[in-house]
Amino acid sequence: MLKNYAMWIGLLVFGFAAMMFYGSFSMQYYGPYGPGPGFFPRWISGVLAAVALLYIGDSIRKEKRISFAEAFPTGVVLVRLLTIVASILIFIFIAPFTGYIIASVLVMLMLLLPDVKWYTSVAVAVSVSLALFFVFDTFLNIPLPANALGW
Amino acid sequence: MDTFGLLMEGFAIALSWDNLLYALIGVSVGMLVGILPGLGPSAGTALLIPLTFGMDPTSAIVMLAAIFYGSMYGGTITTVLVNVPGEAASVITGLDGYPMAQQGRAGVALGISAIGSFIGGVVAIIGVVLVAPMMVKFALSFGPPEFFALILFGLTMVVGLAGKSVIRGMIAVLIGLLLAMYGMAPSSGVVRYSFGITHLIDGFNFVTIAMGLFGLSEILIGMEQQLKNPIKPPAVKGMFPSRKEWKPSAASIGRGTVLGFFMGLIPGTSSVVPALMSYSMEKRLAKDPSRFGKGAIEGVAGPETANNSFTGGALIPLFLLGIPSSATMAVLMGAFILHGLQPGPTLFIQHSDFVWAVLASMFIGNAMLLFMNLPMAGMWAKIASVPFKLLFPIIIAVSIVGTYSISNSLWDVGGLLFFGLVGYLFKKADIPVAPIALTFILGVMMEEALLQTLAIYKGSFLPIFTRPLAGTLMAMSVIALSLSIYAGFKNKKDNLADSEA
Repeated sequence: MLKNYAMWIGLLVFGFAAMMFYGSFSMQYYGPYGPGPGFFPRWISGVLAAVALLYIGDSIRKEKRISFAEAFPTGVVLVRLLTIVASILIFIFIAPFTGYIIASVLVMLMLLLPDVKWYTSVAVAVSVSLALFFVFDTFLNIPLPANALGW
Repeated sequence: MDTFGLLMEGFAIALSWDNLLYALIGVSVGMLVGILPGLGPSAGTALLIPLTFGMDPTSAIVMLAAIFYGSMYGGTITTVLVNVPGEAASVITGLDGYPMAQQGRAGVALGISAIGSFIGGVVAIIGVVLVAPMMVKFALSFGPPEFFALILFGLTMVVGLAGKSVIRGMIAVLIGLLLAMYGMAPSSGVVRYSFGITHLIDGFNFVTIAMGLFGLSEILIGMEQQLKNPIKPPAVKGMFPSRKEWKPSAASIGRGTVLGFFMGLIPGTSSVVPALMSYSMEKRLAKDPSRFGKGAIEGVAGPETANNSFTGGALIPLFLLGIPSSATMAVLMGAFILHGLQPGPTLFIQHSDFVWAVLASMFIGNAMLLFMNLPMAGMWAKIASVPFKLLFPIIIAVSIVGTYSISNSLWDVGGLLFFGLVGYLFKKADIPVAPIALTFILGVMMEEALLQTLAIYKGSFLPIFTRPLAGTLMAMSVIALSLSIYAGFKNKKDNLADSEA
């Protein structure tokens, strides 16, 4: 049971539905001019909660079970997936201080270095980051995160 | 002014240097997006939306639409060469296209696809040009009850066609609708589910959701596959079919065109559906069905044509009713709204120059694509061999800067990561993610339509069932849903489920 991945996703969806359902009670359900802002969320989250239970019921049937081992990679592949997640998180936390270019080069290096020769990695990371900075910040006038020096 | 005159004015705008350039950029990016594994048309279009923020709306939509139909051409190349579909509709092409490539006939498969795609695409746009103006009046007769019923019908189609099971389709559809509930409620203006977070007052941003669900999650999935078995494409030569293949190919292209166009009119169908239907039709009509799956040229020509004429037909519900029929169409519609263009019957009247310029540019774009795909197919095939390990960091860098630029905030970059992970986890649990993005767009419209209906008819739901058009649509929704539930029980779901695997 506990190893069934699909069941956990079902529980997660049910939790989300329950939270939305609960939240809908703080909003007006029916006003003098028809349904209020709570009307739609309450119905949809209610139905979703029911469907989530059906899904859980369906996913614990023998032929529908998906174990964590089947669903997710292990070893190197898993590490690489987590690197992608980590790189984006790092960008979010450091960009306000280092500015866009340094943060972006760092993200790309994290992703490139494990597979690509170091000089190619550096060349690709720097050129792509500079190109994106130029297109968005200079050309399209969309201010990107900047460090104390303005880049 | 008559249709022809309007179209000529459209050409005048579309043929300006900058719009030609944007169309060229669009089709090239579309080809790239289609070819490169790990990036579908929805993701590709969503990724480039931020680039259009500074453009005028016509150029922006010319470019984004070009990405969309360009990716339909590009997707074919990787499918035929290495049997890794760049976009979902190409899965069907792979059934016979890949065997053709193994027999050394990759060039022919690509050639007939390019020709079929061109004919399907162009005829469908001619269809839009002829039919759409006549349907404006019809679209104007759509009141809130009809809109509600039509969207509901679209949702039931999405559920039925979404993939492996009705329950999983419904989960995706309902989650999309619920995500649309965040932020300002229609008519009352009450802020819902903001949890005191300022960023949530406006709700979730569609581009963030689309980039996460399609872009990042596809990269995460693609990463796993690529690390397991990297791919190497064969060479491409000889683009034209043999003499005795022309006749059956032409017939399949004709059938695919008509089928794709009409499927495009039905909300909720994705481009996989016309491709699949065309394939099974060709197989049924063939004198010797056993050739299918072993490199039958009709099995490539028909579906490829159908998925391109679908993209044309799907413009009608998008332009006239503001209802996107597929996830990519939803992304395109998101771009419309960002640029201040509200799709709907009035679009043809208030922004007729825009509509005709976009339609005209699609003729030009398809011609560009025909050229890119016939004489230049070999070059694109080489691009298919750019290693994924070099590519995915670039796509992630573009996604980060793209989501950041939506509202100049790292909040949306976090959203990218969040929805990327949600998409990844859901795909692993066999829950389709495309409906989430589609219904996210439809959710607000649906609620608005229902609230308006109830306000007009003093709280009565009855008109949704009793007005002729709305009633018919409601009946069709019930039928569509019961059919898919029935099919689920009988375990006889059509091969669509298999094709998605």
